[in-house]
Amino acid sequence: MTTATAESQASEPDDLDDVEESQLEFYAREIKDLVGVFSRTLYYCVRGKREKGDIAAQMYAIGNGSMFFMCVTMAFIGAIVAYQMGLQTKKIIPDMSLLGATFLKLQVRDLIASVGAMPLATRVGAGIAAEIGSMVVTEQTDALRMSAADPVDFLVVPRFIASVIMGTVVLCVGGGVGIFSGMLVAMVSFDVNPNTFLNFSMLTSGDVILGLLKMVTYGGTIAIVSSQRGLRTFGGSEGVGIATTEAVVGSLFGIIVWQFILSAIGYVLLPA
Amino acid sequence: MIKVHDIHLSFKKPVLRGVSLEVPHECIYAVIGPGAAGKSVLLKTIAGLLTPDTGQVWIDGEEVTFHDELKLAELRKKIGYLFQNYALFDKSVGDNIAFPLRRLFGNIGEDEIKERVAERLMRMSLPGFEDRNPNSLSGGQKKRIGVARATIMRAPYILYDEPTAGLDPVTSQRICNLIRDEAREQRSTVIVVSSDIQRLLSIADRVGMMLHGQLIFDGTVDEAFASANPYVHQFIRGETEGPL
Repeated sequence: MTTATAESQASEPDDLDDVEESQLEFYAREIKDLVGVFSRTLYYCVRGKREKGDIAAQMYAIGNGSMFFMCVTMAFIGAIVAYQMGLQTKKIIPDMSLLGATFLKLQVRDLIASVGAMPLATRVGAGIAAEIGSMVVTEQTDALRMSAADPVDFLVVPRFIASVIMGTVVLCVGGGVGIFSGMLVAMVSFDVNPNTFLNFSMLTSGDVILGLLKMVTYGGTIAIVSSQRGLRTFGGSEGVGIATTEAVVGSLFGIIVWQFILSAIGYVLLPA
Repeated sequence: MIKVHDIHLSFKKPVLRGVSLEVPHECIYAVIGPGAAGKSVLLKTIAGLLTPDTGQVWIDGEEVTFHDELKLAELRKKIGYLFQNYALFDKSVGDNIAFPLRRLFGNIGEDEIKERVAERLMRMSLPGFEDRNPNSLSGGQKKRIGVARATIMRAPYILYDEPTAGLDPVTSQRICNLIRDEAREQRSTVIVVSSDIQRLLSIADRVGMMLHGQLIFDGTVDEAFASANPYVHQFIRGETEGPL
């Protein structure tokens, strides 16, 4: 056995317990860090001293940059969902009168927020992580700290507020476009009159509240997870790339976890 | 006076291994050494940007090692810092230079801030650059903007991290002269980390050499040149033959 091999074997853990423990420690540290960034963000939302125009600039960047992308994506998703619902309905009961009503309920309660948040996470999350990550590797966050400006206050809070507000706005607009495209597909493919399709009778205030709650939560999740990854960037451009990838993966994972939690809460407190 | 005692710091691997040094008042202290020796990490530890695993840092006789950010804000009023990568924000040159004043000294009026920014830019031979964007400037100009930001508070301690990295010889010498003149005029205590030894030693009062996370030499410039330590001897002379 060569010396190098012997050394590498010597450094391996004795059993799988060690590996599992270190993995657990890793995830515990990550969650602790996320909670820390989130709590500091909430604190600085109230007590921070940011510069004028920071939030507006971030709102413009997130809203303006995502609107077209979101509208196109949601148009396709609305069309696909309406078409699939129509096909299934046709097989079981060839009565399309309630197609629009069920489509609207599904969209407002669930799909606009949860499906729309995924492209939003890739677009906004990657941007936030790359921007903050670049500032970390070029020591700009250290320069902020040397001037007693907490990077969470200065960088995360404007992005968090902007992402919550503009994430909701962009998802609402994208959702409207998705409903419109679904209506067109229903009209062309299944001869459903637009007036019949736009049937809000099954939609309750609970559906709207739950949908909006999901949008706000997903907007905040994307900003917090991506900012945390950005702040933890290490190394040069490769580190920024890793942070960006982790931000998108982490945001998507966060959205799915929140989707499960909020849906479960919704079914108890705001039953469909 | 800046005093560092037995600092240990690790990022998975040890980066600083028992570093101790004292920088007397109004001294220009040069920290030299090969890459990855721990020079920049030492500077950031002194500024409170990194917390050591063990050891102490004293500034003006006060131990500042494990201060929270609130207490560190008070400490940072006393410290100007030039970062290796300029660390200029995506704001105008004027706003970059004024940033520490606005954040750390809320009682200074905008008129005085503008006056001091203009004075700094004049001193850096960049008059009228207030509204320019840092992205449109050369490396040398960015460094001078960084020096202006580091010195605008008239802080008693200034830390320079690789102030001449990537600059041509003439600009490097100008930056070094600027550092020396600023230190003498403002009577500040200065630590400069650099690999540009000849230029750095021309302005330094004392010199410390770091290697593998340890301070292997601490003395005057003359003592450094006369040192029998083979690492110091080779590094200062830039010789290819030797233990490095």
